[in-house]
Amino acid sequence: MKKTLALILVGLLAVSLAFAAGSKETVAKDAGPVKITFWHAMGGVNGEAIASMVAEFNALNAGKIEVTSEFQGSYDEEFAKLQASGGNYPCDIVQIYDIGSRYMIDSGWVLPVQEYVKKDNWNVNQIEPNIAAYYTIDGTLYSMPFNSSTPLLYYNKTAFDEAGITKVPTSFEEIYEVAEKLRVVNPDGSVKRYGFGMGNYGWFFEQWMGKQGLHYVNNNNGRGEQYATAVAFDQNGGGLEIVKVWDKVLKEGISPYLNIGNDDAKAAFISGNIAMTLESTAALKSLLLNIGDRFELGVGYFPNIHKNDVGGVSVGGGSLWMLNTGDTRREDATWEFLKFMISPEQQAIWNVKTGYFPITVAAAETETFKQNIAQYPQFQVAIDQLHDTAPQYAGALLSIFPEARTTVEGYIARLANRTVDAKGAVEGMARDINKALEEYNLVNY
Amino acid sequence: MRIHTVQRRKLQNVGRFILNIPLMLVILVPLLYTFSISVMPPDEIYGNHLIPTSVKFTNYIQAFTNPYYNFPRMILNSFIVATTVMLGQMVTCSLAAFSFSFLEFKGKKLLFLAVLATMMVPGEVTIIANYLTMMRWGWLDSYRALTFPFLTSAMGVFLLRQYYLTFAKELYEAAKLDGCSNLRFLGSIVVPLSRPALGALGAYVFLNTWNQYMWPLLVTNSRNYRTVQIGISMLYDIDAVSLGLMMAGVVIVIVPSLSIFVFMNKQLINGLMSGAVKG
Repeated sequence: MKKTLALILVGLLAVSLAFAAGSKETVAKDAGPVKITFWHAMGGVNGEAIASMVAEFNALNAGKIEVTSEFQGSYDEEFAKLQASGGNYPCDIVQIYDIGSRYMIDSGWVLPVQEYVKKDNWNVNQIEPNIAAYYTIDGTLYSMPFNSSTPLLYYNKTAFDEAGITKVPTSFEEIYEVAEKLRVVNPDGSVKRYGFGMGNYGWFFEQWMGKQGLHYVNNNNGRGEQYATAVAFDQNGGGLEIVKVWDKVLKEGISPYLNIGNDDAKAAFISGNIAMTLESTAALKSLLLNIGDRFELGVGYFPNIHKNDVGGVSVGGGSLWMLNTGDTRREDATWEFLKFMISPEQQAIWNVKTGYFPITVAAAETETFKQNIAQYPQFQVAIDQLHDTAPQYAGALLSIFPEARTTVEGYIARLANRTVDAKGAVEGMARDINKALEEYNLVNY
Repeated sequence: MRIHTVQRRKLQNVGRFILNIPLMLVILVPLLYTFSISVMPPDEIYGNHLIPTSVKFTNYIQAFTNPYYNFPRMILNSFIVATTVMLGQMVTCSLAAFSFSFLEFKGKKLLFLAVLATMMVPGEVTIIANYLTMMRWGWLDSYRALTFPFLTSAMGVFLLRQYYLTFAKELYEAAKLDGCSNLRFLGSIVVPLSRPALGALGAYVFLNTWNQYMWPLLVTNSRNYRTVQIGISMLYDIDAVSLGLMMAGVVIVIVPSLSIFVFMNKQLINGLMSGAVKG
């Protein structure tokens, strides 16, 4: 017995020694360029664009600042990784999706960009006001907008021409009408092409609240002095209006049910099985590439629920958050990097390579941007739509937004299966989200 | 009479083929379609084409040569990690299985139950805790972090123990009488005899490690330690998806797993079945 005990002790000692050796590596060095780490969630061509922008920044600041960009999976995965490790400040700057904003603010790990705006006397008006509005709470710009997009209506222009439709629908009343004309039925009675189709994507629900000029949650849409404590879409009736549209579209066969997320809707649209769909502005280039010469692509504003709605769209996508590492040299370097990333030239390049908005007003003056608009005139519609909205429709801030979005999608799926009606779906969404919100608030505030 | 049975057997074989071909098609078509998409021009992918009109390997060339994706490095990393974990498990599990089957000691049953109990804890439960441990130790971004937590497994111990239980006890006793040490008995008698079980375990562990996604994503940051599954997600973006490139990545990544199945098929099936019936 003694022998085993001794053995265990020796083993423990050896193990702990090995680990002690490992932890010594994290000694900061003051010499050489300031090294900062940038976490992002951009895959594919977007990730390549980030890599080349970072490389350019490093070349310009050789010997002074060295940025390492690291891909951390999808938005959700990156967010989860940060949630697990955020208190240890694993990076200096991190790209977080729009719906993670409230969580970031509450986390206490963040250095609001506003502090450097003040310190550097930097003019915030350089940023598109309707984009800056989303990330500004109580006059404080928390994070730097970076990859911003809004939803759009994409349509098959060739099909529109064949059906003799000249006016692009702007509300669902018009969509019903147009979709009827665009619908093609096989001789056996099955539908060959639907006039309209949209994915079960919670983002649209949020957008339609703003389009109706209504709030998604209480306390000034979560942007007031107090954080949101309950949803508002059930009380103000906005949620029911949206779900009724979804219900009608599915029940009357105006659109097939295209599953959660937007991939199936996109695939159906590209292959010509639906003539109109809803998708992010950032998808324009990949849509054009995949459609090829099969049909001409048209773009319109994201449709209103009702003709006379007064609101506007809000931006989605992501922004760059500075972490409060406490190391002034690194924070200064991070600010320099941020300024570079949103400089007009870089934003114009970013826009061309990815299809996200240039978030800087002056980017519109650059040659790069002008050439891009000439090549893809469809993008002008996206820009116009962005300019036509207003800061008060910036959208909600909600700590549990990722969960809320999943809840909404879950109830829409049940609506499609006819296991719940429109009214029940809204009630269910409100109940589930409120419960999650209450739990979150209890634990975190 | 003999001719008759031969004929009947042939007929049976033909019948089996007829039954199996549709099954094979159902299983293979998604794989073949994946390959087909990866060589298709982009405008045909959504154009209701099963077979591309022209074959282009640009997606493969891009995945392999674009330094941003750096697939060769990621394949190497995956190989290093999967092989290390595989060898590690083969060693630790056969040692543990040996003591759980041949040796007699106090608390053996309880200890074995404790090992088995860890099989009931899903990996998702411990992943964050393990990640934080790795971070405290300063092990992030290293092969250590990728391999260390997986160097043993209850499933491996269980599989090998069941196999060792089929060995005659007399074998061990005879070896002992001749003055053979435990380790030597394990090395020169048990291991050579349990090749099917070890092979099955090895292949199974290799595939599992090769297919890991969440853990490598958590514990690595630099591209020097990223594995292939993360490479695939690097090819995907929610707003700008290039299906052809992604499918090329998928094909590159499944080639090693498929070849393992082809080469070790026999051992995999024999070995995994071995614990099922105690004989």
